[in-house]
Amino acid sequence: MQKQRHSIRFIEEKCIGCVTCVRACPTKAIRVVNGKAHVNHDRCIDCGECFRLCPHDAISSETTSYADLEQFDCTIALPSPVLYSQFSYDVMPNQILLALKEIGFDYVFDEAWDCELTTDALQEYLDTTEGPFPKISITCPVVVRLITMLYPNLVKNLVKLEIPRESAAKKFRQKAVKSREISPEKIGVIHITPCPAKMISINHPVGLEKSNLDGAIAISDIYGRLLEALKGLEEDVILQLSSGIGIAWAITGGEIMGIHQENCLAVSGVQDVIRVLNDVEAGKLNDIVFLECLICPDGCIGGSLTVQNRHQARRKVRRLIKMFGEHTRVSREMVLRLYRGGYFNQQKEISPNPLPPLDPDPGKAIQKLKQRDEILKNLPGKNCSACGAPDCRTLAEDVVLGQSSIDDCVFLTLDKLKEKA
Amino acid sequence: MVADSSLVQEYSIKRWDFTKAGEASCEIKNTLKQIGVSQDVIRRVAIAAYEAEMNVVMYARRGKIRCEIDTTIIKITIEDEGPGIEDINLAMQEGFSTATPEMREMGFGAGMGLPNIKRNSDVFEITSVVGRGTKLKMIFNL
Repeated sequence: MQKQRHSIRFIEEKCIGCVTCVRACPTKAIRVVNGKAHVNHDRCIDCGECFRLCPHDAISSETTSYADLEQFDCTIALPSPVLYSQFSYDVMPNQILLALKEIGFDYVFDEAWDCELTTDALQEYLDTTEGPFPKISITCPVVVRLITMLYPNLVKNLVKLEIPRESAAKKFRQKAVKSREISPEKIGVIHITPCPAKMISINHPVGLEKSNLDGAIAISDIYGRLLEALKGLEEDVILQLSSGIGIAWAITGGEIMGIHQENCLAVSGVQDVIRVLNDVEAGKLNDIVFLECLICPDGCIGGSLTVQNRHQARRKVRRLIKMFGEHTRVSREMVLRLYRGGYFNQQKEISPNPLPPLDPDPGKAIQKLKQRDEILKNLPGKNCSACGAPDCRTLAEDVVLGQSSIDDCVFLTLDKLKEKA
Repeated sequence: MVADSSLVQEYSIKRWDFTKAGEASCEIKNTLKQIGVSQDVIRRVAIAAYEAEMNVVMYARRGKIRCEIDTTIIKITIEDEGPGIEDINLAMQEGFSTATPEMREMGFGAGMGLPNIKRNSDVFEITSVVGRGTKLKMIFNL
């Protein structure tokens, strides 16, 4: 079976063509045609904005299901630190990790610990790397896709380290192979994810040939089971290794919390990320060493597969940071040894994948833009999206590309009717 | 120099309109991406146009950016009504800046403006009349 290119599915029976998703899409990938929303897969970056906002439940996201775990002889859970923020104020990370074991995972590891390792590795990377600056975080797979597609010039700014969930998955699979004496493919290493984009970064990774993860289960899909498991749970083992430094990766500013450089910047939310990337491209942020960009509002706690509202979740993360401290539990020497041994090395260079121009021939592309501007002059400029495109300018572009007709504009059509009457 | 078949786009800029500042140069950059101009040229135009746009926002009363694109060159002219520049040679020196402390607070005025524009463009011309305004012309070869 071919792996899906995108995690978002439009459910045609439920779609009423209301254009909410069309207007929300930051890359203008969606159009309503004949009353139904359609996505242009070449433009989709899996940000999940459409999924988040659809009022008719007509968009679903595809992640690994709980039942899919049965195909493996041994399962390993790697929960995003976000999971710790989803329960009531008193439920602690260690209990949550134990609850994951309780619901059927053979091994459960504290991914926040690997985030903490990566924080230290990132510090070393920033201390020793050469420009161009700012270096941009690659933790959010949507940001990486946004950059390769719309900001190809900034691909060389992307941090060249492996992301924690991948390095962790590799390490723990090897451990399980040794201790259980089974073949690596019989082990399922599963990320517990706050967003659908992680699934795509597993099926179609960009910084490595093949993902070390076998799937990603949505937090919302196993939340009920975890709540059940937490009742009467006996806390007999300590699985949590991380301090607040690792747990902080759940929120915006978390990656830079453990970095000693002052000139770091954290941005979250799709529009703000786009704004700041424009600034980087204009040369405005040359004094920033490291830029953390997360596409969901407030960071990964704002992911669309979470259950807790993100403000409550942030409050919980802050509490955990306070409780477990802002001093890393990672040994610097160990990280340096791993770093020099290549443990954090990105396996494959990330390459630009820019959107194609309006025409492969620049002369023709210029003519098409001129035609677009001419068409645009005749459109009402109300950006009502009733035509099925997000705004008048995009409609004009679609008309030039032969994908739409100017008659799709309801205002122009109304004017024509009035003239006839 | 610019053929009839060229694409012309104009944007107006207002003094101290910091909320919109940078939009015109961003539009120009996006247009170049749609034409399929090389990444290196896009990078240089983005930096130069942004610097020039910010100069108008910070120092002039109002101004206009005109961008003309054909298959061989990109020509960007920026004309403003403003105080003008008394000593262009001085203004072209690396590190020279007349930015106020407020502008510096916002991260502008490192004295990078004009030399940075010149460095990033293939042809750079500047004329200025004190009390009237400044005109910049930059050309990027494709």
